[in-house]
Amino acid sequence: MANVAKKVSWSGRDRDDDEDGRAGETTPLLNGSGPGAAGSGRQETEVPRQRPNEIPHNEKLLSLKYESLDYDNSENQLFLEEERRINHAAFRTVEIKRWVICAMIGILTGLVACFIDIVVENLAGLKYRVVKDNIDKFTTKGGLSFSLLLWATLNASVVMVGSLIVAFIEPVAAGSGIPQIKCYLNGVKIPHVVRLKTLVIKVCGVILSVVGGLAVGKEGPMIHSGSVIAAGISQGRSTSLKRDFKVGVELPGVQVPLCAVPTGDLASSLSSPGSCLSSSLCPTLKVPSLLFQIFEYFRRDTEKRDFVSAGAAAGVSAAFGAPVGGVLFSLEEGASFWNQFLTWRIFFASMISTFTLNSVLSVYHGNAWDLSSPGLINFGRFDNEKMGYTIQEIPIFIFMGVVGGILGALFNALNYWLTMFRIRYIHRPCLQVVEAMLVAAVTATVGFVMIYCSRDCQPIQGSSVAYPLQLFCADGEYNSMATAFFNTPEKSVVNLFHDPPGSYNPMTLGMFTLMYFFLACWTYGLTVSAGVFIPSLLIGAAWGRLFGISLSYLTKGSIWADPGKYALMGAAAQLGGIVRMTLSLTVIMMEATGNVTYGFPIMLVLMTAKIVGDYFVEGLYDMHIQLQSVPFLHWEAPVTSHSLTAREVMSTPVTCLRRIERVGTVVDILSDTSSNHNGFPVVESNPDTTQVAGLRGLILRSQLIVLLKHKVFVERANLSLVQRRLKLKDFRDAYPRFPPIQSIHVSQDERECMIDLSEFMNPSPYTVPQEASLPRVFKLFRALGLRHLVVVDNRNEVVGMVTRKDLARYRLGKEGLEELSLAQT
Amino acid sequence: MAPPRCLCRPLLPVLALALLGLAAAAGPRQTPALELAQELAEELWSAGLPGDLPELEPECRSLLDAFAEGSAALTGCLGRRARPVRLCQGCHGQYRRLLAQYGSIARAVGNSSESHNCAKSILTSDRLQIVVTLSEFFNETWEAANCANCLKNNSEGLSNSTEEFLDLFNKSLTCFEHNLQGQGVDLSPNNYTEVCKNCNETYTKLNDLYNHLQRLNRQGGESAHSAHLCIDVEDAMNITRKLWSRTFNCSLPCSDTVPVIAVSSFILFLPIVFYLSSFLHSKQKKRILILPKRIQSNANLVNIQEKYS
Repeated sequence: MANVAKKVSWSGRDRDDDEDGRAGETTPLLNGSGPGAAGSGRQETEVPRQRPNEIPHNEKLLSLKYESLDYDNSENQLFLEEERRINHAAFRTVEIKRWVICAMIGILTGLVACFIDIVVENLAGLKYRVVKDNIDKFTTKGGLSFSLLLWATLNASVVMVGSLIVAFIEPVAAGSGIPQIKCYLNGVKIPHVVRLKTLVIKVCGVILSVVGGLAVGKEGPMIHSGSVIAAGISQGRSTSLKRDFKVGVELPGVQVPLCAVPTGDLASSLSSPGSCLSSSLCPTLKVPSLLFQIFEYFRRDTEKRDFVSAGAAAGVSAAFGAPVGGVLFSLEEGASFWNQFLTWRIFFASMISTFTLNSVLSVYHGNAWDLSSPGLINFGRFDNEKMGYTIQEIPIFIFMGVVGGILGALFNALNYWLTMFRIRYIHRPCLQVVEAMLVAAVTATVGFVMIYCSRDCQPIQGSSVAYPLQLFCADGEYNSMATAFFNTPEKSVVNLFHDPPGSYNPMTLGMFTLMYFFLACWTYGLTVSAGVFIPSLLIGAAWGRLFGISLSYLTKGSIWADPGKYALMGAAAQLGGIVRMTLSLTVIMMEATGNVTYGFPIMLVLMTAKIVGDYFVEGLYDMHIQLQSVPFLHWEAPVTSHSLTAREVMSTPVTCLRRIERVGTVVDILSDTSSNHNGFPVVESNPDTTQVAGLRGLILRSQLIVLLKHKVFVERANLSLVQRRLKLKDFRDAYPRFPPIQSIHVSQDERECMIDLSEFMNPSPYTVPQEASLPRVFKLFRALGLRHLVVVDNRNEVVGMVTRKDLARYRLGKEGLEELSLAQT
Repeated sequence: MAPPRCLCRPLLPVLALALLGLAAAAGPRQTPALELAQELAEELWSAGLPGDLPELEPECRSLLDAFAEGSAALTGCLGRRARPVRLCQGCHGQYRRLLAQYGSIARAVGNSSESHNCAKSILTSDRLQIVVTLSEFFNETWEAANCANCLKNNSEGLSNSTEEFLDLFNKSLTCFEHNLQGQGVDLSPNNYTEVCKNCNETYTKLNDLYNHLQRLNRQGGESAHSAHLCIDVEDAMNITRKLWSRTFNCSLPCSDTVPVIAVSSFILFLPIVFYLSSFLHSKQKKRILILPKRIQSNANLVNIQEKYS
């Protein structure tokens, strides 16, 4: 208990990247497996720590940092009583609330997207104007190296701020956020991933990294932002802001303006360890007697997950103006838990989101009823005759898919080595910031040198170019390399799609593709929040356009070889080759182009790119999930795993609790840092300890902690004090960040009390016999979203426990079935 | 104004029949609407309908004549001033007049029955609608040239800024000519230094003025059209710029390649230093392996590589 004072925060921040010294107290939970008898476990588990088996980080590890989410409802007596009390009308109210929440998710996601778009547009405009003026000035007077320095410094300093906030405040906001949301929907609890603080850092980080001129886009992070918004709204409170939104039941109309303020659900810097506030956090439970928390019913993982998938869909829809694509994205990533009502609700949220973005942006652009900007990126219209395609072109598109697959695989392989290097060597936050700054400076330098060396001049036509750089071109002309480099990536993509043939010469495009490929590959995985969608599209559009130009050169300028069309197909191929999404990406691209007839060639291109790419390496997101050592469960068990049975898979022996257990034992088990289990099978309280008793139920760590906090002991009940009965509400109030065991004080006397678990445990946990095969266990686990699966023998005695990590460690590798090791990260 | 032409196409036979019906009803009274429908109607004429072709009312006829003359004048003007482009300066009078003539046709009400006024008979009675087409063509040309931009608001004459610009433009042209005459006729293309030196001031002024106008214009309107200045100004500037930087080769930017190479290679060198130093000096992150508590089984793990020593 020595660390009580230090570790009282609810959040239990696991910042163990750099804090080896604290490894002892931040040891994450190892679900359910571990040494047997309570109390005696301590000496045993010291053993591995005395001779730590240290290895460099590699991709064949599973981190202990990650836990499962509790998708399975704990059907204890309290739950059943509550469900029985709720009548039919109340269930209808709950359903209506779900719709209200979805609408709010859509609106807020759209507004956040608007905010990002407008701020990026203005800040980037300012930056490019300053640099352009400077270049124009020095072109005539000499001293262009100063312009280069100015550009590089501006980029580096903006990115430095963006990287600082990510590296030091919320590292989980780094990257595009899609892998994290994928894991969340898969059922892995990534620490901090759906918090308000993450949202704030994410939004600011995206703005700064796009303004900083990195080869990144703002679309991927929208998905993460949408998810955080969804998680926050559905919980109706934010502990970051220490705020719980309680509204009288009779005034449901008030809730909308209230909830506009807080999103995200918990813990910002206010509750970080060491903060003076945290000591006061030792929570005193409020019992709102008359007030009823608006969305209290949704405070559990199952409901939250549904809203998070709605939020992810809303994010996609706001990013690309693709509501159907958003729904399919959620379907593709979290499809094992799905039903038709949920789909309809998610679709509703998506539509609301894109509509909000559209209307706000059109008001901002001054044509209020035009509704012409449904997404953060608009590919523009592809509906003139030149953009149509003929059957003869389909083989060409498929060939482009092959090229995209190969280039995507190359991108992923390079990024894999880079990421591995980063994990191993560049793990200190300050180094990460320095790296991000260097990348920003180099990006500016490469851009400048390319523009400087390019002799590709095009006449200025009106205002088609946002920031025309003249440099060494004749007066009245601009440097065409500058349209690609001296612009935000979104604009460059649209330019590549729509500029008339002849706007770029092949040399420019070739150099641009090459440079941007390496820059984008280098940038992804930096500690900045930024997405990979736009850079991929840009690379693809550049080589696609190059392909189109050479095609029309080969065919002596046939009418059908419009380079814009090939730029689009190249973009699809490259993106498909990198991220390997199939269904949702096809629909997203189709909706973003606004042309349904492109569906077929885009589908073919993405399919080919995926097949070709999968032959070499896996997709970027899966690769990063693997590199983060996340216990991710795929759709199916590995194909060759039929020979394994639950007996080999499970962890054993299991720490069990008796139905009526001594408080001291419970406290000891819970505070044993080396075996931080989360679920405990409850067995019959048999005084005869020599015999293992039959399984009676399963109880979770969180429930035990709430019980200890309220001191629900048998003795106190017997004192015939008028004690309030514990309700399900008390468990929900603590959700999702239950206090650590250290913050609960149990006196020496109380340790001798007994605690009766039978009312609180889940009396019907899922079990399997020892002989069940791994695929069978896997199916049960994946389909039901389980967290603990108890393995029993034929006398219903507990012999082992299967958790997510026990299953995720089997993976199909190059040489057949591989087994991953558990490691502390 | 005029109904869209595409609408008329499917209505064609109906229209013809209706007109014929009208003609039949009107008898010897000349129905003006039929004049242009003549070709279309000729097939049906074989049915043996009476009468000579109806003629326009005199007022309408005079309006139409005026329009025809006006458009001829405008076309002539546009054609003559196509190169170098002087459309807006030279033809705005004709354009304005034509607009007025078109307006009077559109507003004109003939003195016959209300259903047969001039506007209807001239503008909308046939498929071709040549008057509308002509007027549309002139309007579109005018808008594409963006002439409104360099005319005064009431489009009577050039705006002040345009006058100023053209003034300066003429001055620089004079300057070019003047300086070129001073030197010999057969100059090698690199030997225009005299021009560059003497006319630099005027040229810079002209260029600055142009950029200024452009900026003003861009601030003024958002839509794509108004982003252009009027074609006269644009073309004048283009000619001057081409002369200046292509023919005379005057705008020689200082290419300071050496410092740029130095700075960029310095910046490009930094990441290498960074990665090398972090590779050499940073402590490699080690992962502590945790031994899982499992039944160490035997037979079934044949195809699993044993990771644990």
